[in-house]
Amino acid sequence: MKQHLGRQSGVQNVEVSLIDGKVEITPKEDGQIDPAQLLAATYDSGVTVAEMDLTAQGKIVKDSSGNLVLQIEPNRTFVLEPNELSKGLESLAGSQAVVTIRGQLYKKPAGKKKPDASARLKLVLLEVQKRQ
Amino acid sequence: MIRKKLALLALLGLFVVPAAQAQIKHIEMRVEGMT
Repeated sequence: MKQHLGRQSGVQNVEVSLIDGKVEITPKEDGQIDPAQLLAATYDSGVTVAEMDLTAQGKIVKDSSGNLVLQIEPNRTFVLEPNELSKGLESLAGSQAVVTIRGQLYKKPAGKKKPDASARLKLVLLEVQKRQ
Repeated sequence: MIRKKLALLALLGLFVVPAAQAQIKHIEMRVEGMT
């Protein structure tokens, strides 16, 4: 699995802990990393992903449906699942402020073994680390 | 003239720097079924 994930685009380093089933991925600075691709690649290597968290830096914008979105690049965005923390970021929507957040991008649904590839991953905010 | 150029450079930096900082910093997964 470590080798398989290490071959995915944008991945600089993969650390696997067999004891607690934790996989830590350090992205390259080229911005090519794709969490959905990593999720699929992990399943391809024969294990089940229970959850995926990410730490990212970007701007807060609103999409055409009015959802709050973390924009990392013009073509890489994550819709924020509304919660108390996301409410606190509403005032930053459309501003030039850059925030660092930690959130849960995927959690295995009860009973399902494989993630639905067609479903868009939503980011559940766990922590707002920095605002600039 | 130099002041004008410096001011323009500083203004550009305000837009370029935040864009350059935007990125995924870290990904962590918890997996099951690993041997």
